[in-house]
Amino acid sequence: MSPKSAPAPKQAIFIKGFHFINLIALIFMTASGLQIYNANPVFGGRAGWRFPKELLLGGWLGGGRNWHFASMWVFSMTLLIYGIYIFITRRWKHRFASEKDIQALLAKNPKRKNYAWHRLAYTAIIPILLIAIVSGLCMYKPVQFAWISGLFGNWQNLRVAHFLTIPIVIIFAIAHIFLSFRVGGLKMIRSMFI
Amino acid sequence: MQFDKHLSHRFSRRQLMQYASLSGLGLALGSCSSESKSSPLFKPLNQQAGNVRALFEPLNQSIEELIFQAKNPAPEYPISAIEPDALLVNSFNGNPIIDPNSFKLIIDGAVANPMQLSMKDIQLLPLTSMVIRHVCVEGWAAIMQWGGVRLYDLAKLVQPKAGARYVYFESADNYYESWDIASALHPQTLLAYQKNGQDIPIENGAPLRLASPIKLGYKLSKWVIRVNFTKELVPQRRGYWEDEGYEWFAGL
Repeated sequence: MSPKSAPAPKQAIFIKGFHFINLIALIFMTASGLQIYNANPVFGGRAGWRFPKELLLGGWLGGGRNWHFASMWVFSMTLLIYGIYIFITRRWKHRFASEKDIQALLAKNPKRKNYAWHRLAYTAIIPILLIAIVSGLCMYKPVQFAWISGLFGNWQNLRVAHFLTIPIVIIFAIAHIFLSFRVGGLKMIRSMFI
Repeated sequence: MQFDKHLSHRFSRRQLMQYASLSGLGLALGSCSSESKSSPLFKPLNQQAGNVRALFEPLNQSIEELIFQAKNPAPEYPISAIEPDALLVNSFNGNPIIDPNSFKLIIDGAVANPMQLSMKDIQLLPLTSMVIRHVCVEGWAAIMQWGGVRLYDLAKLVQPKAGARYVYFESADNYYESWDIASALHPQTLLAYQKNGQDIPIENGAPLRLASPIKLGYKLSKWVIRVNFTKELVPQRRGYWEDEGYEWFAGL
């Protein structure tokens, strides 16, 4: 390392672990979710278009459901533990996008602008992940959680809301990788994994 | 020798295909099974689906039982909310034809007064009507009206014994299901003979089928001919689809 270059960014080991487990859990949730989707496509019902088998986890509907309702624990519990962690360590005060980032978007400093976009993107994904959990819970137990289920209006809205979290997460993942790279280059991306 | 080898090879292939259809691939997905292959990444994981179930079903079931409210009714809807075309028909073995005039429902097992009831006897019992959401394991749902007799009212007649914890439902097409007794005696669990204000059509389970908002559709047996209260479940016979790999409790 030349003395001029900035020090490599460091991430807390806990955050690296959370990020990695969450990534794997999201892949499992998505692939098993698409397996369930194929049993009766959200769009078009039995006549609807189905996802290719290469993307599916489970092998058949029953297998997909078994994987989905197992991965949901890993997915939701890591998210919960992460929430407790950032609350206790008070990271929530400065980790997420704030008014300052909105101001930076309007200002001229391009470096600060990139950073603001990056923070906005990873902040926005958290409510999306929470919507995925809530809408999933509403379909998994629509009677016991009838009071939240009712907020979605009808069953089809619930299915669409739950499904839409997949394309949104994928778009987020692409934007997140791109913005991380612009903010801190490969060094920063590596710091999140190794 | 050569001949033997060939034979055993053919046999194992046939066996493999049998296993594939047994595991529900063919039954559940019908035509869309063999065109593309599962990814090498997920293939070994697909084979673990049974182990994943064995690991997580007890946890999921204990939570399901914990949040299940045996006395609280599920939401009911106005008649105007009925979706008459939304109920899709799934049947694993065709439609058995039952003569309603000679039909007798057998209720037996761990009960004080085993009974056989004709449709006339059943229709003399209080009629319960409900407009509820029927939810299928495949992901679709349909708001339907069902009318029939509460299983609770039938249980009052036959008097389940103290240790009865489960109920088996046997169907004319050899479909079978088992329920926890708390869900079976829920006030909205019916043996229904009406659908959307009419007699139930054959493909929907005439003359008697289970209808309830608190369980997934595969628990709601059609063409029910026998209700058997029992103290223990038969481990390898917990329900047609459960034995293929679906979750047993399946509570909503």
